[in-house]
Amino acid sequence: MVINMAKRIKSKKPQGMGSKMFDLMNYLLLAVVGFIMFYPMYYVFIVSISSSQFINQGMVNFIPRGINFDAYKAVFANARIWTGYRNTLLYTGLGTLICLVCTSLCAYPLSRKDFYGRSVFTVLIMITMFVNGGLIPTYLVINNLKLINTMWAIVLPPAISTYNMVVMRTSFQAIPDSLVESAYLDGANDITSFTKIVLPLSKPILATMTLFYAVHHWNSYFPAMIYLNDQEKYPVQVLMRDIVVQGDMAGEIAGTVNVIATNYKYAVIIISIVPILLVYPLLQKYFTKGVMVGAVKG
Amino acid sequence: MKKSLLKKATALLAVAAMSASLLAGCASGEQGNTSSGEASSQPGSSVADSSVGSEQTPQENEHPSWVSETPIEVRIMLMDNANQPLANDTPAHDEIFNKTNVRIKLEIVPQSSYDDKKNIALSTNNFPDIVYLRSYTDITDYADEGIFEPLSQYINEETMPNFYKFWQQYPEMQRYMVDGEMYVFPGIAREETANGTGPVIRTDLLEENNIPIPNTFDELLEALAKLKEIYPDSIPWACRQGTGQLLKTTAYMLGCGHGDNGRGQGMYWDADKGQYVYGPAAEEFKAVLTYLNKAYEMGVLDPEYATTDANSMATNASSGKSFFFLDNSGFGQNYTNELRKIEGLENATFQVIPIPENSFGQRRAVAFGTTFGKLFAVNAKAENKEELIKFIDWMYSQEGSDITNYGVEGLSFQYNAEGEPEFIPEYIMQFKDASPSDYYAAYSNLGITKLDWCLWACNTKTQFEIQKITGSWTEVSDEYWEIIAADEAYVQPHMSPSFTAEESERISEITTDLDTFFAQEYDKYIMGNADIADWDKLIQKAEEKGVRELEQIWNDAEARAAAALQ
Repeated sequence: MVINMAKRIKSKKPQGMGSKMFDLMNYLLLAVVGFIMFYPMYYVFIVSISSSQFINQGMVNFIPRGINFDAYKAVFANARIWTGYRNTLLYTGLGTLICLVCTSLCAYPLSRKDFYGRSVFTVLIMITMFVNGGLIPTYLVINNLKLINTMWAIVLPPAISTYNMVVMRTSFQAIPDSLVESAYLDGANDITSFTKIVLPLSKPILATMTLFYAVHHWNSYFPAMIYLNDQEKYPVQVLMRDIVVQGDMAGEIAGTVNVIATNYKYAVIIISIVPILLVYPLLQKYFTKGVMVGAVKG
Repeated sequence: MKKSLLKKATALLAVAAMSASLLAGCASGEQGNTSSGEASSQPGSSVADSSVGSEQTPQENEHPSWVSETPIEVRIMLMDNANQPLANDTPAHDEIFNKTNVRIKLEIVPQSSYDDKKNIALSTNNFPDIVYLRSYTDITDYADEGIFEPLSQYINEETMPNFYKFWQQYPEMQRYMVDGEMYVFPGIAREETANGTGPVIRTDLLEENNIPIPNTFDELLEALAKLKEIYPDSIPWACRQGTGQLLKTTAYMLGCGHGDNGRGQGMYWDADKGQYVYGPAAEEFKAVLTYLNKAYEMGVLDPEYATTDANSMATNASSGKSFFFLDNSGFGQNYTNELRKIEGLENATFQVIPIPENSFGQRRAVAFGTTFGKLFAVNAKAENKEELIKFIDWMYSQEGSDITNYGVEGLSFQYNAEGEPEFIPEYIMQFKDASPSDYYAAYSNLGITKLDWCLWACNTKTQFEIQKITGSWTEVSDEYWEIIAADEAYVQPHMSPSFTAEESERISEITTDLDTFFAQEYDKYIMGNADIADWDKLIQKAEEKGVRELEQIWNDAEARAAAALQ
């Protein structure tokens, strides 16, 4: 009977078994890949809530042991983390805003076919993608602009990422000329058609750019470390890096050695990545939304 | 209508853009002004002029230790430390201001970023009045750029009486000179107790199993083998950070060093021979490899020693899986504390043992350096140099050192009958059970000792005193320091001589070649995949690569440095 059934299925749907196997393998493979992606983050999380006694013995692998939130209490008791957080929010918010304004203002003219000298400007701008001044000259420029030790050194230099600008320009080009033309016919000028027609149609790309820029600003520590001198201005990433890297440098100092607890380090990591993780789902709906459907008829 | 709207919009945008840029300019301008203004306008020329003539004025006598009549600000770039977070305006810093009229302003750079930041600051000549340098190489790299103030002109009895005492007491300090000129003020350690790399073993297990404390390195292996027999699942000898770290920590004790001098690996100072030797190319190095091979084959050495990371040693030792390590012996107390939290291991003890005898009949080890501390250079562009130098000299005085190591008299310390500073127990007790430790919390809170701005600096002295007050001082620590102090095997690290530019270049050429050549060989011999007799061939090849020339360069430079001291 069973054999019969199997035969019948096999005979009726010759590809059925194959495709089922394929699906199964697919799921398995994806599950493995998914696990590989997910596990490091999960591990950091469970270590951060485990007791250090078990961590030091290497007993925390898949489930947290000796669950407690002391590490988080200790992190939140650290006043510097809060200052750092405030700075990060400020730099990310302001920086992303500046980036979006500058990038879209730069991308729109370059997307217009009737823009005079378009190809020349495009080439000039593209060059900066491949060649830059290098660390020391950039530092000197920032220094001569008197931006050292101010938040402007963090938010102004990355105002336009050429790559993102090109992506945005391409996206603007996808908007049919006839839309902008019809706006012109109705008496709109460049600025009106940009703000009233192009930008509203470009929510998906704006959302994408917001995410790109925000993540970039959130994660960046190097400019802050180089250009800022006062500790009160450091973003949280600089502090995080210090706390996390320090353990590996516990080298040779006389006297007894204190090593920062692993769960404390990992709690800092979790605290510093969770907010930016939360932004993603909020912006995701724009990625897939087909705004352009039905915009042009005929 | 439409046109005017357009115009309005354009105008608005233009205005917005302009005001935004103005705002940016303003804010940064203000910042720039205040920072440079504070530095330039306050002290500036007026002070410099007046202070010369005003040394005997009444105000000066009221504050004998003031270095300037008007308050000045000195900016110092320092490295932060996660154990002892630094801060501005701590009690000790305020007290410095009261005593000297100098307000120190620390530019606190995270430890992990210090080297990057310092390199950029130095190469763009954009650093504060005083900068903490990480090594001798920093001095040689930047000295000829003229960005550091040459200091020889100040080092004399009259200008810097306090520093001059140390200058005479420690002639080795002259090794910091580049082309006969001094560019740094080295921190001086105050009554420092030295520990170092040493063998640390679970003494409770030795006792339990009636194994005597090993007296030679061979006995050590036997003891560990016995423990391995009793606890078959164990990894008796814990390691960390791979082969390099293993050789660095063990080789010298086993008879032939594997250097660690900031200029590649291999080259080390052999205190017994009194000369520099490139370890791997020496005959004695075979004894090191033979020994480690034996440990490996007996199953005593961590079989994964070559690929261990920074945490493996801590994990194995504090979980009871390992019974021995040869590394910074200070780790032992951390592991002991962790072990004792485990049920059934309440008596577990990691304790350092006296350095065992090696196959050449020597007992030898290098302690951590305890003469000099951090190196500080003065910016050649610094203002008020006269006051600055006076201030630095004050930092080397008894009063300066007491404040920068004990805090504020009456608040955190008082002088006892012998005139020695002593912490006030009530003040220190507030840090009992603080994190990461009582003494680091106290240091951080007061802004004191060697990690803060301190030139004649305590480290272990104040640590012990604080631990004895709070009660975190244990019998294990007592025993630990007694064993180290009684062990005559430890020598202080030898200060590298200075090289000429040509020598430096040649050294890095040969060293890179040799280090990469040998680095791929060690594991074959330790794991027993190659016969130790073949090592001679490697030595021959190393000689072709110029290892003897390299040793010659080092020893010539050493001879020059030694001659200069006499």
